Amino acid sequence: MSPRLTWKVLRKDMAIGPRSPLFLWMIVLPFALTLILQVAFGSLFNPEPRLGIVDDGDSQITAEIEGMEGISLTLLDDTEELKTQVEANDLDAGLILPAGFDEAVTSGEQPDLQFYIGGESLSSNRIILTVTAIDLIRELEGSTAPVTVDVVNFGTTGLPISVRLVPVIVFYALVMAGIFIPGSNLVEEKEQGTLMALLVSPAKIGDVLTAKWALGTVLATVMATATLALNQALGGNWLQVLAVVVVAASLSSMIGLLIGTFAKDSAMMFGLVKGLGIFLFAPTLFYIFPEWPQWIAKLFPLYWIIEPIWQVSVMGGSISEVWLELVVAIGITVALIPVVGFVARRVQAQMAAR
Amino acid sequence: MTEPAINVEDLRFSYGDLEAVKGISFDVKPGEILGFLGPNGAGKSTTIKMLTGQVTPKSGKAQVLGIDIAADDPNLQAQIGVCFEEKNLYLNMSAKENLDFYASLFGIKEPETMEILRRVGLAERAKDRVHSFSKGMRQRMMISRAFINKPKVLFLDEPTDGLDPVTSASIRKTIKEEADRGAAVLLTTHDMFEADELSDRIAFINDGEIVALDTAENLKQKYGTRSVKVRLREGSGVREEHIELADEGSSAKLAELAASPDLLTIHTEEATLEAIFIELTGRGLKG
Repeated sequence: MSPRLTWKVLRKDMAIGPRSPLFLWMIVLPFALTLILQVAFGSLFNPEPRLGIVDDGDSQITAEIEGMEGISLTLLDDTEELKTQVEANDLDAGLILPAGFDEAVTSGEQPDLQFYIGGESLSSNRIILTVTAIDLIRELEGSTAPVTVDVVNFGTTGLPISVRLVPVIVFYALVMAGIFIPGSNLVEEKEQGTLMALLVSPAKIGDVLTAKWALGTVLATVMATATLALNQALGGNWLQVLAVVVVAASLSSMIGLLIGTFAKDSAMMFGLVKGLGIFLFAPTLFYIFPEWPQWIAKLFPLYWIIEPIWQVSVMGGSISEVWLELVVAIGITVALIPVVGFVARRVQAQMAAR
Repeated sequence: MTEPAINVEDLRFSYGDLEAVKGISFDVKPGEILGFLGPNGAGKSTTIKMLTGQVTPKSGKAQVLGIDIAADDPNLQAQIGVCFEEKNLYLNMSAKENLDFYASLFGIKEPETMEILRRVGLAERAKDRVHSFSKGMRQRMMISRAFINKPKVLFLDEPTDGLDPVTSASIRKTIKEEADRGAAVLLTTHDMFEADELSDRIAFINDGEIVALDTAENLKQKYGTRSVKVRLREGSGVREEHIELADEGSSAKLAELAASPDLLTIHTEEATLEAIFIELTGRGLKG
């Protein structure tokens, strides 16, 4: 096998891939799915409340809000500019903190506070910003809330559905880019007869298959990472996330290669993916329905790549917590290499015998 | 004495129980075109598949440029050019991209892509994607791809099958140029005119066996009749006379007829390759 020839075939596949509508569709689908699910379950189109502040006195309130997660803060110098932005719905609310405001509050005075609310802002955002502002002023004054709020979780505690759907979306990114693209690319080479043309050049079947596997691995890594980023699930330890995604992409691409090697034509390829669909998809269902017996998920091969992604990216864990899953995933990938090689040799002989 | 570029001894191949090639032997020298003439299913393409490393022979020996074909040596593929019967090009790539890609597989840093496309009359369409090409243009692309690495041995499987006469003539001219360059050419065809025009020697292959192998002239002499047909005006009609050249007194008879004021035409009656093939095998070339 020659790395030079593998690279030549890979470069060709990357160059002509985007010219195929099927290829483009496979790339677009996970993103489209992300958008659909985000619209349905929130987050992407549910932005943080936007607060503007004109702070003439270096107020502690401004510093507190700056340190808060979940509120988008814009500092402005000019009151008129603040009003304009609130009126234009560029901000949900605007707060004007005059010089000496903090001192006035702490000394027990009752200074005037101008708080502008945008007429077109969401009610939920108005409430969040108003309550937050009042709480911070109360804190500044040194008083406590007049009541004690007892928070009781009602209903089943757990992650929101939008988070539990992340494995489904990542699964689609991996299947589309990792399984479909190398598989369909190989099948197309067989259908068009270009595989035979490659094999009477210095390139060998090993070079061609390695190039297809690399194509799937690279694309699946990019797609899965982009999908996680779109779903705000990339987290702070993105290097570890990238590592588990690469392992996942490698196994997905190997499965795609096996299907592509085995399938004689596109119809058979799609039939195989459809037939294997539930077998491949099953582990993601256990994230949507956490009350199901979770051990069953381990019976499916893609569990071993979905679980590390879930733990490291969504749950913010580390690779050391999922080393076993990663070892199993790498083991399955390596075990599939001779299987792909065996099937490829048989298919090569069958093609030549046509 | 020049070493043969292709040397085949008792080569055999079977598809399951069906023996497709039954112990054939031949050689092709550099610069020589050997025409493999036979009907569909005779074993022509299978022979090419064995010699290019696509399938492994069941038995026998074959060397291409001194390399044993069973050795799976990449040096073999580096020095050969193959034109398949099936048109297997990247349809989503342009003509130039197709050739540049194949050139890169052969490690050619500065391929003469445009020159090759010019030779096959496709330079003007170099940037067009192959899916927009006609059947004839695609076939010319197939031929040009086989030439990209300036191969020492060319395997051409039915290179003009189903093409119009003009495209066929253009492709034949290019094949001849490659042989003149010094490439050994193994050409399979069921077109007797093509075999006759291009081949230095012709092998008749039928049911996996070579039934005759010689130059076209020798085959015609060996299996044809040496006679001429003379047509003469006779009253308001035409009279035909057949003169066997081997007969005693045929020269005098021919001279007499040639001097006749009633002479219309004289035709030699050498056997066609197809007639010889039928005589040898009992079946036609189109089968």
